[in-house]
Amino acid sequence: MKLTEDDLYRASTQFKHWSFTPSQLAAQRQKTNIQASERVKAAVARQRAQRAKHFDTASASESERNGTPVPTDRQVDCLTVAEEKKLVDTFCEKAIDLGGFFKFPIEVTATGIQFLRRFYLFNSPMTYEPQTISRSAMFVANKTEGHHLTLEKYAAGFPKATTEQVLAPEYLIVQALRFNFDIRHPFRALKGGHLDMIEMARGNITPLPSNPEPALDIHSSMLKLPRKPNGPETNMTVNDLEKRITDAYSHASHILKTAALLTDAYFLYTPSQIWLSAHLLADEPLTLFYLSAKLPSSSPNYPKILATLRSCADLLSSHHSFSSPTTTPAEKQARDKKEKEEVQALIKKLRHCRDPDKMDLVKLNQAQKRDAVDAGGLEESKAKRRKLEREGYQKEADDFWGPELPRRENGAKAG
Amino acid sequence: MSRVSSRASGTSTKRLAEDGDICPVCKSSRYLNPNMRFLVNPECYHRMCESCVDRIFSHGPAPCPIAGCKRTLRKARFRSQTFEDLKVEREVDIRRRVARVMNKTESDFETLADYNNYLETVETVTWNLILKIDLEATERRLRLWEEAQKAELESLYSSASRRVLSTADQDLQSDTQRVILKKSGVQRKTVSHSSSAADTPEPTAAGNADTGFRFHGLKKRVAPEPEKPFDPYGGWSLEPQYYVVQPDYDVDFITGAKTDIHHLAGGYDLRDFYSRALCEAFSGFGVFVQDEIIARENGVVERVRTETQAAASVTVGVRDVNMDDVF
Ligand SMILES: [Zn+2]
Ligand SMILES: [Zn+2]
Repeated sequence: MKLTEDDLYRASTQFKHWSFTPSQLAAQRQKTNIQASERVKAAVARQRAQRAKHFDTASASESERNGTPVPTDRQVDCLTVAEEKKLVDTFCEKAIDLGGFFKFPIEVTATGIQFLRRFYLFNSPMTYEPQTISRSAMFVANKTEGHHLTLEKYAAGFPKATTEQVLAPEYLIVQALRFNFDIRHPFRALKGGHLDMIEMARGNITPLPSNPEPALDIHSSMLKLPRKPNGPETNMTVNDLEKRITDAYSHASHILKTAALLTDAYFLYTPSQIWLSAHLLADEPLTLFYLSAKLPSSSPNYPKILATLRSCADLLSSHHSFSSPTTTPAEKQARDKKEKEEVQALIKKLRHCRDPDKMDLVKLNQAQKRDAVDAGGLEESKAKRRKLEREGYQKEADDFWGPELPRRENGAKAG
Repeated sequence: MSRVSSRASGTSTKRLAEDGDICPVCKSSRYLNPNMRFLVNPECYHRMCESCVDRIFSHGPAPCPIAGCKRTLRKARFRSQTFEDLKVEREVDIRRRVARVMNKTESDFETLADYNNYLETVETVTWNLILKIDLEATERRLRLWEEAQKAELESLYSSASRRVLSTADQDLQSDTQRVILKKSGVQRKTVSHSSSAADTPEPTAAGNADTGFRFHGLKKRVAPEPEKPFDPYGGWSLEPQYYVVQPDYDVDFITGAKTDIHHLAGGYDLRDFYSRALCEAFSGFGVFVQDEIIARENGVVERVRTETQAAASVTVGVRDVNMDDVF
């Protein structure tokens, strides 16, 4: 029984549960946004009604006397889908800084960011505050990537965060991730590709069964690769070529550590396609040459793969962190400034449309546990439902195992 | 009977001896020595106290001190009795011994009737031993049977292990033949045929020898299937389409690891990294997420559909409300 590399990827949860078409992504975000907005509005309305009632009994006469009606608050201004996405993107970016601050390996940070993105596909920043969630998601990522760090040490890294605050949303996050902890990153893939290219440049690669072009031919035509797409042929030495490949590697690696993490690339493309796209952005002629060595351009899949890579590359280069050699520092600075202002406004807006029910996650987490100290934390209906569920389980067990045996009162009677 | 009468007659010493409170050898009684223990030897089942055993048999085997019994006893075989009645004790011992040798089960026989006949024989043997009928002959048959069984098992296991070795051998052989010769399959077939015939020898000539007993309908023992080498991938293997792993790579970021003792001490093999990195480089290369997902949603790919149905229902978000209900 043979498997191809692609079959391996198809078996991953990333492909099975966390890959989408752009329209699916948009639809899901829309749905999440609508659900969250409705909840926020309903919760706020309920709170206001409560307050109004309180207010009424206290000062109804007063307001009547003044002839001014109780001031009706204006409608809650909820975030739009685009605004939500922007917020999430921003916090993903902040997560990179967070990883840098704690000196996490890039895999940890990258996993944390993907957890965050997956989480906010089904939850809205209005419901759960991104800052709290990103803190916990990063901690979960530490654990899943095998980078061990004590909770105390981690919590101490934040100016104001307790260990409870880090842990409180943990189960929520893990559940939103559908317990899929495996994130396939393109980092090692890029390294593998780099190894392959270097050996190719040196001319000691074993020809592929599907493309039996001798290694030396590949080697010699590789030395003539133009610098720019459609540029003139060059005549590099092997050392030049190796340097060129290494440069492309570090550029691509940078893209993978920034733009690839901060866009929807992981949802829309496979890690293999992502690293190749990043490499395409870094050095187009080289990458195209590499591709043609792997897959003859006569192959029916070739144009399709190239189109996929190009669209992925477009996505990566559309991110504001992407800087091609043509962008000037001033341009970039202006772009960053504009970005920052927008985000500031958004965070301000978010403050007014938070879901009041989900403000204190620590308290909610405690209440959710069975032996909650604070019994009032659990809504009555929920407590009742839990009790019913428990009784249901008991009944099911009785149906299966039979009811508990009646205790025998007296041994002598039976004897 | 005798017990009742002796009690009635009132001879207290005799009664005490029977109840086991006086050692028949040294006549010391439990009345004087409350910690006294009595032991028996399954050779003749004569009782005596522990200190007598120590005294008489410490220097090696010696004859039983009870009058009229001349059996040679060894100290090591003395033990405290389990059953009060020494007859029962003896019968249990005999049954245990017979059961160890004659240990067939129903599944070893063709029919239930055959098995019952076998049990009948076993019971006869047991009672012969208990009642000391044909003692010599029965013991001899039992011994022959035990030896025959042992010999049968040994030949079975040695041939089984030989077979494991030879199949490994054969695999290797045929592999090399496939690679080097690439000749007609007929030739290889004959080779493997002849070798397999040589590997499984005919059950030894035990068939004619005296095995003590002969049972009708007893199945021939079959050697258990040799255990196959464990394959963690369950028969699956990776066949890369887009790369061939080179034996070695020389790039800046791995030169350190090649000589770093921390990497090498744990048995870390850079070749594992090479194959993993290259596999990841192309894992999903030809997976067009959009097309495949649309196909999956539409159920065009039947194989994928059934397996991802659950997944689809999750991703579509049917269970969202529930999922959110952690708090
Ligand atoms: Zn004694
Ligand atoms: Zn004796």
